Amino acid sequence: MYTSTTNRRSFIKKMAVLSAMTAAATMFPGIMFAGEQEEQLPKGGNLDWKKAPCRFCGVGCGVMVGVENGKAVAVKGDPKSPVNKGLCCVKGYHSVMAMYGKDRLTKPLVKKNGRYVETSMKEALDLIASKMKETIKDYGKDAVSIYGSGQWTIPDGYVASKLFKGCIGTNNVEANARLCMASAVTGFLTSFGIDEPMGCYEDIDHADVFVLWGNNMAEMHPVLFSRLLDQRLKRGVKIIDFATRTTRTSMAADKSILFLPQTDLAVANAICYEIINNGWVNTSFVEKHCNFNKGLTNMGYGLEDNYKFKDKPEKISFKEYKKFLEDYTPEKVEKISGVSAKDIKYMAAYYGDPNKKVMSLWCMGPNQHSRGTWMNNLIYNIHLLTGKISTPGNSPFSLTGQPSACGTVREVGTLTHKLPHGVVMNKKHREFAAKIWDVPVENIDPKPTYHTVEMFRALDRGDIRFMWIQVTNPMVTMPKLKRYRDGAEKEGRFIVVSDIYPTPTTDIADVILPSAMWVEREGMYGNSERRTQYFEQMVQPPGEAMSDTWQLVEVAKRLGYEKQFYYKEDSHIEEIYAEYRKHHDNKKHNMAPLEVLRENPGMQWPYVEGKPTKWRFNAKYDPACSNGEDFHFYGKPDGKAVIWQRPYEPAAEEPDTEYPYWLNTGRVVEHWHTGSMTRRIPVLHRAMPHSYVELNPDDAKRMQIKTGDMVKLTTRRGQIKLPASVNERGVPAPMQVFVPFFDENMLINEITLDSFCPISKEPDYKKCAVNVEKA
Amino acid sequence: MKKRLGIISLFIILFIAFITVWNYSYYQGQEEAYIPIENNQPTPIIPSEAGVFERSKYALDYTKMPVDEIHQRTMKNYYDNRAFHGAPPSIPHEVSSGERSMGENNCLKCHENGGYVEKFNAYTPVTPHPEKINCRQCHVPQKTQSLFKETNFKRGTIPVVGTNNALAGSPPVIPHQLQLRENCLACHAGPSAPKEIRVTHPERVNCRQCHVPNNKVTEDIGNFIRKIEN
Repeated sequence: MYTSTTNRRSFIKKMAVLSAMTAAATMFPGIMFAGEQEEQLPKGGNLDWKKAPCRFCGVGCGVMVGVENGKAVAVKGDPKSPVNKGLCCVKGYHSVMAMYGKDRLTKPLVKKNGRYVETSMKEALDLIASKMKETIKDYGKDAVSIYGSGQWTIPDGYVASKLFKGCIGTNNVEANARLCMASAVTGFLTSFGIDEPMGCYEDIDHADVFVLWGNNMAEMHPVLFSRLLDQRLKRGVKIIDFATRTTRTSMAADKSILFLPQTDLAVANAICYEIINNGWVNTSFVEKHCNFNKGLTNMGYGLEDNYKFKDKPEKISFKEYKKFLEDYTPEKVEKISGVSAKDIKYMAAYYGDPNKKVMSLWCMGPNQHSRGTWMNNLIYNIHLLTGKISTPGNSPFSLTGQPSACGTVREVGTLTHKLPHGVVMNKKHREFAAKIWDVPVENIDPKPTYHTVEMFRALDRGDIRFMWIQVTNPMVTMPKLKRYRDGAEKEGRFIVVSDIYPTPTTDIADVILPSAMWVEREGMYGNSERRTQYFEQMVQPPGEAMSDTWQLVEVAKRLGYEKQFYYKEDSHIEEIYAEYRKHHDNKKHNMAPLEVLRENPGMQWPYVEGKPTKWRFNAKYDPACSNGEDFHFYGKPDGKAVIWQRPYEPAAEEPDTEYPYWLNTGRVVEHWHTGSMTRRIPVLHRAMPHSYVELNPDDAKRMQIKTGDMVKLTTRRGQIKLPASVNERGVPAPMQVFVPFFDENMLINEITLDSFCPISKEPDYKKCAVNVEKA
Repeated sequence: MKKRLGIISLFIILFIAFITVWNYSYYQGQEEAYIPIENNQPTPIIPSEAGVFERSKYALDYTKMPVDEIHQRTMKNYYDNRAFHGAPPSIPHEVSSGERSMGENNCLKCHENGGYVEKFNAYTPVTPHPEKINCRQCHVPQKTQSLFKETNFKRGTIPVVGTNNALAGSPPVIPHQLQLRENCLACHAGPSAPKEIRVTHPERVNCRQCHVPNNKVTEDIGNFIRKIEN
């Protein structure tokens, strides 16, 4: 069929316009001709695009950064990245704008008589080194500490660990990942003996059912959630949202199941009970590949200083485990958890169905949990009992929140007990590390010192006198914040903060160092699916801003460790990475060489014989399996994974008559962590300008509170006022409230509780008792 | 006797065949019951053609649609609503469906097919990717005009209409990434298309017959070198 678009009259009209334009082009200078046009063709559409992993969350999307005249001006998704296949979220798309806030720190600042004075980088680094020497002389090596982050690049964390553990000889190395991933780590170590997920994101393309454990993926891991939605569109997969609060994820899911805070422990056990009771156990898998263990119970909550706990694992039989589960029949658990027995059976039926591939996903819900390690163990129990593990689509998958929580904190091991390979307590591991680090083995202290909460308590007590904080904002993120801020501000403490913007943490600093962020420097991140991603330097950092790696190297040299910190300024990232790789030179953890990282959108470890390993512990995919069976859980000496007997225990502080509500904290899609970057991105700030407290509509009605009214929240730690949010983005269950934590002007952590999981030492930010009043 | 033997052996053969067929189908039934995955590897060199013809069914309508001069969008409106060329636009209106929805049908009701909306006195822009339903993952409303801190960010050069063709009169190239935007007519045709980029010939439908992407990342395969000299 032909339809004429132009009748004759309009054709003549168009011709007239065209000839007029041609005439204009000849008369007016500056109007372009073909030749010039060709030169200028790229205009806008053809910037210099370079690949990098996204700066923000642990998903690790590949992004392309557009650079024009030495400035990053645009971002788009990298279609070649298997992580996000070209899609980003609103934070990722606007990420480059985080580099250009007007109040960017460009010069070192030193506190003199209560005021910050600009100084040169050289002087500031001299001061830091001399202060460290002085502190070590006066108070011993365990009085200096470094507190880093899951946003540290791999080289940042590596030189920090080498300097403090290898050279100075103190295990005072911690990172904020303790506040978000520690329970995942101890979960992996107790169940499998080796850290990080066995599966990968590709599991999403294979699974039939997704169970989200306390995980608001639609907001917090939106790119992966879109991959789930995509699969639902293509294959009709099921998404089950199991949470304490109704969120966007609940609305998008096929089924939303709400449970009372802390009772996920009971529900997970009830699912195991159902699996065993209905004969859905994969008996041959369990017999060949699993052990049953129990540990200590009634562990406490770590609320007191110098709290210590060591679990005592004890082997039990399947019969004993079955007996233990009798306390967790769906009917009994219904009473504790508020989840109907039908819903428990519904979830168990999916896990138990041999024809359904199930992927469990979780992040802060089970991790920031006063029984976080147990919760992680329990999810693995379900997958181990049914044998749904380490095969495409059958995957318990622990997500992360920071771009290099896995890559730096967990793999480099910037935690007090860790070494890049192994732990400080193990003599062989110490010898191995000392050899690569070129330090005497006696330097490495065999005793771990403080985990994060205890480290800040030690600072308060005066056991720690010097703390260097890099790429993190503990004066927003520490629970029960006031104590730790007051402690840090005490006389005789010296705090160095390396950051890119003024934050509540730079407010407590004696020296503020301006850092080069993300693509203003060179580095690598490691994401949740064991993918290491390299990025080159694309733009110049502002002023005297310097990468965290080089700040540490400069100070190390000033402390007299030139021999260990031999790196050259223009090739140090390459040298450091090459040295770091030596720690993981084995089939279980080999990292891809830098050339491979440069050319690929990241590479997964174990990287063996030129190939990444997608599914670990499965002999079909993982060359480290050596027992001749289909599966080999080689993290444990006997090659068997552990099914743990872990009971339900209440939270540290539950609502009572005085404080009758549960207080839950969390995040929103627009802001990342403490918002020090995302709040400086106009689009994001304007979309989410401040924090709020979500109330259940019935509670709000009873108290006559509507959206926007000020509400006073009071806990045993203090009180804050926030505007109410009723029936907006999220709806908490009755007698529960929820507050996002990004807003430094409405610091919810002033009133949270510093209880933690006794095994992982990760605080529970999601549960404490609060009173709610109209202000 | 022979006949009987024949019949018996026939039945035996039939029985064996039955057992074999039954066994075969039984083991087939044991195969995992899920639809196999198509591994859609992204093709880095040649951008996806999926979506080009998506809205072609409206092409003829577009040619007949009168231009509504008063309600036209311009490139200025278009760029005012996004941080830089290629950034996801923000939501310039209140979201009545509430904050709890990720978007999906609430957004698609209007943004899937467009049309005039009395309330906003405007034509709804049409999304080129209605299959991505977590809209709020990338598109956020603007609740305030204030800033947390001032910014020095400057968006780069934006493509200007009329400078995107190599020769005077030759078809302009595509100055943006094609992913999520494969469906050309969504933005380049109809009453909500910014007037500067509204296509004069939507009925041609096969847009990429004449308009090619100009994009280093997806296109750059180095200089073409003729390997064999003759």
